[in-house]
Amino acid sequence: MNTPKQYYRGAAPWLLLAPYLVVTLVFTLYPLLSAAVLAFYQTNGPASRAFVGLDNFGFLLSDPVFYRALRNTSIFALCSVFVQLPLSMGLAMLLNSGSSGWKGVFRLILFSPNLVGQIFVGILFSVLFTPRYGLINRFLHALTGWGLEQQWLGDPALVMPAIVLTALWVYVGFNMIFFLAALQGVDKSLEEAARIDGANRLQVFWNVTLPSMRHVVVFVVITSVIGSFQLFELPLALLPTSNGRGPDNSGLTVIGYLYDAAFNVGDLGLGSAVGWVVAFVILLASALQLRLTGATEET
Amino acid sequence: MIERFPYGKAPFWLLALALSSGLLLLATRQQAARAADLTLATFAVQHYSAYQRILPEFERRHHVKVGIQLVDQRALQTRLQNAMLAHTAVPDLVELIDGSIGYFTRGPLKDVGFADLTTRMAQSGYRERIVASRFSKWQSRGHLFAVPHDVHPVMLAYRADLVEQLGIRIDELETWDDFATVGARVSKDLNGDGVIDRYMIDLPAAGGWGLNVLLLQRGVELFGPRGEVSFDDPRTVDTMLWYLKQVRGPRRIATECGWGQPLAKAMSDGLALFYIAPDWRSYLLQTDVPSLSGKLKLMPLPAWEKGGRRTSVWGGTGLAITKQSRHQDLAWELLKFLYFNTNELGKRFASTNIVPPFKDAWTLPEFQAPNSFYSGQRLGAEYARLAPDTPAVWDSPYTATAEGKLSEVFLHGAQYFDAHGEQGLRQVIERELTAAQAYVQRVMSRNVLGATH
Repeated sequence: MNTPKQYYRGAAPWLLLAPYLVVTLVFTLYPLLSAAVLAFYQTNGPASRAFVGLDNFGFLLSDPVFYRALRNTSIFALCSVFVQLPLSMGLAMLLNSGSSGWKGVFRLILFSPNLVGQIFVGILFSVLFTPRYGLINRFLHALTGWGLEQQWLGDPALVMPAIVLTALWVYVGFNMIFFLAALQGVDKSLEEAARIDGANRLQVFWNVTLPSMRHVVVFVVITSVIGSFQLFELPLALLPTSNGRGPDNSGLTVIGYLYDAAFNVGDLGLGSAVGWVVAFVILLASALQLRLTGATEET
Repeated sequence: MIERFPYGKAPFWLLALALSSGLLLLATRQQAARAADLTLATFAVQHYSAYQRILPEFERRHHVKVGIQLVDQRALQTRLQNAMLAHTAVPDLVELIDGSIGYFTRGPLKDVGFADLTTRMAQSGYRERIVASRFSKWQSRGHLFAVPHDVHPVMLAYRADLVEQLGIRIDELETWDDFATVGARVSKDLNGDGVIDRYMIDLPAAGGWGLNVLLLQRGVELFGPRGEVSFDDPRTVDTMLWYLKQVRGPRRIATECGWGQPLAKAMSDGLALFYIAPDWRSYLLQTDVPSLSGKLKLMPLPAWEKGGRRTSVWGGTGLAITKQSRHQDLAWELLKFLYFNTNELGKRFASTNIVPPFKDAWTLPEFQAPNSFYSGQRLGAEYARLAPDTPAVWDSPYTATAEGKLSEVFLHGAQYFDAHGEQGLRQVIERELTAAQAYVQRVMSRNVLGATH
């Protein structure tokens, strides 16, 4: 027979795990299952629902607005990977190369935009992008003769570049911190050996440094792509008068489309279907990246 | 005691902290709920201050306690939607913003979370004393779910000093075509740097709110009284054609001045001479650009044809009573007290410039008082004169979808105009408009429950 002390010890792990399990069950598993079921229903206002089978998915796959949102989000994700991350890496290398005491100050300056939140940044940049009086047009006009009245947030061709530029300001410093930490962990003797063998800077970086920090790079690329597919607040704050859609839906993201379907129109079923499609796209993109980088082949 | 806790000190303190904060939350929540017999939620700071000032009188009269909450508009809408979905507590009365009620009225009428005020309004005798067009926004299938707070008639605010200097006679700006002719004369590059420095009017190049206001003035609505899509109309094509010519190309007479500080700077610089000004915006201009005091005036919108409508409408707020409220009669009394209290409406107008739809208020002294910011014009009387002519606007859960498609049509038209000019533009817009309306109809036709009234 168990003594009370033994009983407590046997139940202890479960008791300690219980809060986590309850929270996960209530706030993760249940909503996940509920959303899966909801994707096959149409909800109408707050209280009614009707089973519609695969109609939500059928509608999505034939909706040009959804494809527009998917295209916008994919462009943003590509810009994150091919513009934002190389910039972050460049800055990290710059900070890693010197030995100045200013390093910490620059690190803080570059990281600080991330502390203020996307809504604040969106509002700030909507002022900077103002035609004629905005600093960005003024700066570009002085530099290149760029039109003072260019409508960054009113011209469909300029809306996505405006969102990408704003996101660069926020996230370049954030991702730089990961790269900087990874660079500091690279074995200097390997780089030194490569240099003695006659490798130039680019060769050292490409053949020694980058492979040494591969895990961090793969992690940052995957989280950036996932984050890009969750883009929502930034366009909303930059383009408030059109609920983040922008002219000709040029700023509409898949999460913006989801929000519109679920919370403006009131069809939580369609919103859930969008959620599942986005999850599938992210899963596919992540699997592809893991495959391309060979991260899955390692033990 | 801590030593005898079997899992150690840290779990003990974590547990103690969790229990005490939980109890504290529970205690304060109950206290707040007990404190008020009626709860009113609003998103507008000015409304909040005005209501706070007069609520003690209502409390004295009815021997009740009224709680008032100021919540950001987006948060209020989301919380209300979620509370109604989860059947948790909601305020007794809620102020809703323009475009938000469609979500709640999308399903069968029995599911609408607000009390049907149709009978109460008819029996109270107030219905005829309110601007009729303002009920449209808050109705669904003939049932009224909120009472309008405002009219929001639209006028044009203009830099009277510059307009006078340029020899523009306001009485000659009778139609939008007259306006465009004068605009073409005065919109120009003043310093020869190739950039236009003075425009006739502030209008967005992408259409947006500017196009909406002008379409409504012309009688074009996104949705009709039965919720049907109604923007595929020859008047929409004509308005878009006119608008495109004013905001694009080298002979444009309009620029977008933005909001807040950029707008204040543009107005001070005289970048545009005329600004679309619904009643609420006239107050914003007053507070945002105080340096222009005495230099601005208001005029009715030019009409689309001689003798036509000289105003439009932009925005709106309504007060709804939730079905969950256990004090429906008291909530109705509070609604009447806040919206039809003539003693208060004068003061409220003086501090907001917002014209109430309750016509009795328009004779109050505050509406006849000259406004020094607007060069001594009797602002209240000017707006009130136009108020009965404001067009009806029918709300729909598909408003954002329709606005998005309309914006698409306009921008495709703009791209064509930029590339090919006016030749063939009408046909492009007509084709796009028909396709856009068909798309919205297709989205709406998916609503399998909405038809069940």
